[in-house]
Amino acid sequence: MNKFNLGTLKMFLVAGVVMLGAPDAFSEEVVCFESRKGASEVTKKDISEGWPNVKCSPKTGAVLWWGDPFDGTQPMGEMPIEADYLKGEAVVKPRTGKLALYAICGVACHNGTFPVKNDDRNPRTLIMHQDVVPDAMNLQHGRGGIWCLDCHHSDKRNKLVDNFGNEISFDQSQKLCGKCHGPVYRDWRDGIHGKRIGEWASDGKKRWFVCTECHNPHDVQQGERNRGFAQLHPEPAPILPKGIYNKDHEQHHGSGANKEDAVESGDH
Amino acid sequence: MSDTKIPLVDITTRATHENNSVSEWRPADDDVNVDKPSSPSRRKFIKKSAGVTTASLIGTAALVTGSDNVQANTSWAEHFQGNYRLMSDEEKAEAIDRLEKRYSLEYEKEVTVDGTDAQEGVLFGYALNIQKCIGCRRCVKACVEENNQSRGDEQEIEWIRVLKMEKGEFTQEKLNDGYPGDYGIQVGGNAYSAAGVVLEGEHYYEPEAVPEGDSHYMPIACMQCEKPPCVKVCPVRTTYREPDGPVVIDYNWCIGCRMCIGACPYWARRFNWGEPQLPKEEMNPKTHYLGNRPRMKGVVEKCTFCIQRIRHGRYPACVEVCPVGARKFGNLLDPNSEVRRVLDRKRVFRLKAEANTYPKFFYFVD
Repeated sequence: MNKFNLGTLKMFLVAGVVMLGAPDAFSEEVVCFESRKGASEVTKKDISEGWPNVKCSPKTGAVLWWGDPFDGTQPMGEMPIEADYLKGEAVVKPRTGKLALYAICGVACHNGTFPVKNDDRNPRTLIMHQDVVPDAMNLQHGRGGIWCLDCHHSDKRNKLVDNFGNEISFDQSQKLCGKCHGPVYRDWRDGIHGKRIGEWASDGKKRWFVCTECHNPHDVQQGERNRGFAQLHPEPAPILPKGIYNKDHEQHHGSGANKEDAVESGDH
Repeated sequence: MSDTKIPLVDITTRATHENNSVSEWRPADDDVNVDKPSSPSRRKFIKKSAGVTTASLIGTAALVTGSDNVQANTSWAEHFQGNYRLMSDEEKAEAIDRLEKRYSLEYEKEVTVDGTDAQEGVLFGYALNIQKCIGCRRCVKACVEENNQSRGDEQEIEWIRVLKMEKGEFTQEKLNDGYPGDYGIQVGGNAYSAAGVVLEGEHYYEPEAVPEGDSHYMPIACMQCEKPPCVKVCPVRTTYREPDGPVVIDYNWCIGCRMCIGACPYWARRFNWGEPQLPKEEMNPKTHYLGNRPRMKGVVEKCTFCIQRIRHGRYPACVEVCPVGARKFGNLLDPNSEVRRVLDRKRVFRLKAEANTYPKFFYFVD
C-alpha cells in the first residue's frame, strides 16, 4: 500500500512538473531504441559522473553510443551448432522481460489443455491475436508458405518451436531462424552477418544482437519493398559549407537523375 | 619541469614550428584562458617571427619563475614539447599529465588522456558491407559522440562521410558508347552519359526514410593506408602510421599547413578552421593522446579507428552503432577474426586501389 502511495505521489509530481513546463524533468527518463524501433530499448542513465550508459540521437531516438555494451545482458547459452566463441563471453539482451503478456500467456490462456489442441497443421487464416501482433492478419514472411505455428509452439505459447517440436526461448530467436536461413545463420554465428558490440578480439566478450533485434519477423518481406530490413529515419545531413546555401551543386554529378539538365545548362 | 632544461637555441627553432606560440603567450599571472586566443593569421605570424627569440626568452623566464596558474603553465610547456614520436617515456608521461590537468579544468570533469602503445601481433583491419549500408548516418553521429569533434552551426566536423549514389546503368547501348572504342579498356558511356557509377555522390540527401529505392550508399572515412600519401607529404612529420595500423596525428606538433588534406585520395582529413566547439557536457572524457583528445584551432584531424577504444579491446564506435551490421572490425593477423572471415568468404575491394595506398579498410558484398 505504501509503495502504491509513493508511486501515485511520484506520478502527481511528474505531472505537476510537466504542467509547469519544465522539459528537463523528462530528460532523465529518456528511452532510446537500440537497433530498430519496437525491439530492444534502453533507458538513459549515468553509470558514473559524466559517463552515461548510452548516448541517443536527438533526432531519431536511436542509441548512438554505448558507455557499457554489456548493460542488462545475460550469457547467450548453448548454441546448437558448435562455434568458436567462448561460452559466457557471448551475451545477449533478454527479450522475455519486455514482453507484456509473456508471464501469463503460457498459464492463463494457453495452459496446455486450452484452447483445444488442433492437429491440423495446414496453413490457414486465423483471426486471432491482432491485439498482440497488430499485423497478424498480414504476415509478411515466407511468401504465404509459412504460418504462426511454424515458429510459435502450439501448446506453450510463450515459447518458439524448432523442427522437432522442441521449445526455443524468445531470447534465442537465432535457433528458430537458423532452421530455414542456414547460410545467413552461419555468417551470423561467425560474426560477419549482423551486429555485435563489445570487444573486437575473436575470443573477446561480445554482446550479440539476435535476429529479432534488427528484423521484424512478422514483416521481413516489407510488402512491395521486398527487403529484409525496414526503412528507418536517417540522422541529419552535414551542415552546408559556409557560403553555400543549398545542395543544388551536388545534383548534377555523374550519372545522376538530372544529367540532362546539367548538359543543357552547361554545368559539368 | 624538464622543459626548463631545453637549451634556448633549441626552443627558438621549435617555436618556428609551433602554430601560435608567439601570439598565445600571456603573462603567467594572467587569468585569460590561453587556449582560446584570438590568433593572428599565419602571414602575420611569419612577419613577427623576428621577435620569436625574445618572446621565447620571456616565456622561458615565465617557466623558470613558475606560476600558480596551471593553465598558463601547462600551455607553455605544451608549446615547447617535442614531436610525440621522438619523446622519451618520461616526456610522454609529462605531456599526458599536462593535458589531463588542462582538459579537466576546461571541461570541468575528470578527463583521462591515454598513451597506450600498439600491442604486439595486432594489425587492425576494417570491412564494410557496401551492399547492406542504408545511409542512415548513425555511424557519422556515433563517431562525433565518441571522438570530441567540433559541432554546432559555427563549425561542424564529421570524420565519416556517407555518399548517396545512383545505381549504375550498364545498359547495352551505353556500353558501346564512348571512349576508347574497339581496343583498350572499355569504360562505357562518356562524360555526359556515364555507364556504371563514378565516384561522385550526394552528401546532403535528407529523405524521410532510408534506404531510398534506387540508391546505394558509400561511407568513406580514413582508410588507414599502409602507404599513406598524407604521411609522405607532412613537412613536420606529425602524422605517421602506428605499428598496429592506424595513421595518427600529434595535434600539438601539427602546423596546420593542410598538405595532408590535399594528398589524401579519400577526402578523409578535416581541418579546424575555427576554435572547436565542444560543449562540456557532451565531451567524452576517455581520450587518447593520438586520438580523440580535444583539438585546437588550426590542426588537422581524422579517423583513428577509435584508437582510445581499440587499444583497450573495444570495437570502434561506428562498428557498434551500425543498425544493419555492415561494419566489421578486427585483427588482420588473427585468422579467426571477423575481418579475416570477410576476406576469406566475401567479394572484397579496396577504394582507389590503383593509388597504391594499400588501405586497411575493405569494402565487400555478400
